[in-house]
Amino acid sequence: MKVLLVDDEQKFALMLAKRLALRGIEAEVFFSGEKALDTVEQGHRFDVAILDVKMPGIGGIELKRRLGLLDERMKFVFLTGHGSKTDYTTGALEAENYLPKPLQIEELIETLNRLTDRPPGASDPDG
Amino acid sequence: MMKSLKRLQEAIWPRFHRNDDEHLSPYYTFQDYRQTWGMTIFILMATALVPLVIMTLIYYQLIETSINTESLLRTERLASNARRAVTFFLEERLDALTFTVNEMGYDRLTNPGRLSEVLRNLKLGFGGLTDLSVIADTGTQVTYAGPFNLEGKDYSNQPWFLECQQHNACVSETFSGYRDVPHMVVAVKSVRADGRFFVLRATLETERLIQALSSYKTGEHADIFLVNREGLLQTPSQFYEGESHHMNIPLPAYADRTKAEMSVDKNGQPILIGYAFIDTNIAPTSFILMVVKQKAGMMKVWLDLRSHINWFFGVSAVIIAMVITLTSTVMVNKIFQADRQKAETMVAAERNSQLASIGQLAAGVAHEINNPLALINETAGYVKDLFTIKQQYKDDPDLVEHIDSIIDAVDRCGTITRQLLGFSRHFDVQTQPIDLKDMVADVINFHKKEAEYRDIKIHVDIPETIPLIETDRGKLQQIILNLVNNAFQAIANGCFLDIRAEMDGPEQVCLFIQDNGCGISEDHLNKVFEPFFTTKKEGQGTGLGLSITYGLVQKLHGNITVQSKTDQGTTFVVTLPVHIQKEILS
Repeated sequence: MKVLLVDDEQKFALMLAKRLALRGIEAEVFFSGEKALDTVEQGHRFDVAILDVKMPGIGGIELKRRLGLLDERMKFVFLTGHGSKTDYTTGALEAENYLPKPLQIEELIETLNRLTDRPPGASDPDG
Repeated sequence: MMKSLKRLQEAIWPRFHRNDDEHLSPYYTFQDYRQTWGMTIFILMATALVPLVIMTLIYYQLIETSINTESLLRTERLASNARRAVTFFLEERLDALTFTVNEMGYDRLTNPGRLSEVLRNLKLGFGGLTDLSVIADTGTQVTYAGPFNLEGKDYSNQPWFLECQQHNACVSETFSGYRDVPHMVVAVKSVRADGRFFVLRATLETERLIQALSSYKTGEHADIFLVNREGLLQTPSQFYEGESHHMNIPLPAYADRTKAEMSVDKNGQPILIGYAFIDTNIAPTSFILMVVKQKAGMMKVWLDLRSHINWFFGVSAVIIAMVITLTSTVMVNKIFQADRQKAETMVAAERNSQLASIGQLAAGVAHEINNPLALINETAGYVKDLFTIKQQYKDDPDLVEHIDSIIDAVDRCGTITRQLLGFSRHFDVQTQPIDLKDMVADVINFHKKEAEYRDIKIHVDIPETIPLIETDRGKLQQIILNLVNNAFQAIANGCFLDIRAEMDGPEQVCLFIQDNGCGISEDHLNKVFEPFFTTKKEGQGTGLGLSITYGLVQKLHGNITVQSKTDQGTTFVVTLPVHIQKEILS
């Protein structure tokens, strides 16, 4: 599974990428939407994009729209420090996978597996 | 019955008299409603009654002036008529004497037989004469005709004799004289052939004069009599005879015509005096004709009428006062209630605005904390991963336990920041018909095990008459859940929780959640809906539960109130509209 991780909180993004790597998930980290968009435009393909909703420049929602145009198969997970999951029962993020910060890593892994149709526990590097 | 009594009490002694809501005072338009009430009554009373009093007084004044003028006029007219009668009486007799002396001369008159004949004829012709006598210029009575034997009496020093010499005729005052009976005389002087003069004198029948005067009396309060210029009564007075036959009212000043004036008698009672100084065209007199009327007697009809008017005025004033007081009380109370409602809205708005600003601050703080919190979480998670996934330090449970406690702490902080953000944010409400009974049952289900374990009795009474409520399911569920959670935390084992609902009018439902737990002290009662306010021990509560509940109830266009007594329990009352109007929501 190839993951595109975009978050302007650099240390957080790097640490999350390391944790995903420990679970056998390869994540390419970008600190801005523009750079992530450039990479995909150049032909790099990812199974899932983990996007921070609120970022300087292109925000998560807009980035999703543009990435969706470039790669229809790409799945999306949103991260945000604003509120709880139940807060977003309506509106733009209604149908999306949404995870609030601070993250529960198990919840993220489970969401990624669900999106890519991998069996539960597939993240276990030993499994 | 109790409701009616309460309504009556509210009508007579409305709430603004009690001023029992100090916290609303700053928002009232009028600070002192009792004063406003008093002022309203005073101004209305003054506006209604002062013109009435003034008009009545003017009316009284007019009537009295008119009655006084009329009375004076009538008294003057009466005095004038009586004067004419007295003057005519005297002049008629003086003329008769004058005619007699001129016609008969001294010689014939001194014949006693002739004189008696003249007296008889005069009595037949005019009447009003007692006797006749001829007096020589020496003052000696020469001839006398009448009932007394007064021949040879000397009148030279009598005042009337002296006056007669001076004016050729005279009318005497009343005096007793030689006969020792009060009488008055008229006399005329004539000249004999030898140049000496003589006087023909007649005694008047005073009774006839008195009768003539009495015939002019009108009413029981009138008195007519003659006095001389010193106030000595010349004819009897019914009411005004004082010491030594003097009248006991003031002597009027001289006037050459009939007059009438106001005065007072010896008791200070008002009287009307009509008077005339009587003179004949033959001889002057010292008589003053007095007509005296008691004013009270003349005013009786008016005084009776005035008493009726006063009664009517008094009763009207009392009715006006009652209507004004009642109307003012009702009106001021209506204004007070409107003002109170406004003040309550202001207090609620202020609290909302306070909560909103705290909410915004909370949102800012929560977001700022969330990012470092996320980093700490990931870093600690990564360290834990190193221990657990990489297996390098798997055997060091102490280290793993420390990292777990960091992650737990982050998790707890994360819960707080999520709640803070939820508190601050406004969301759309999605409405659907909800059965309150089912929803309460669902929430109670969550706590079933705990209730059994803690022996807490839960009693739910939601009647079938409560209709389906159109509202947001998630939010209502959270409201009930929060309040039930709150109650469970407040009550000890073996206590009860009572959940009931009733309609408040056709458009509102009230949900009561009542416990008999530790209660909330009066100091804390006003703060329970403020964020971060908690009475729980540190780490056991975030202080956001009730403030979030408050926000949610507001969002559903409802209202939440709390009543509590320490150690007796707490009741939360959530009032919700049966239908939320969509346009309000958008």
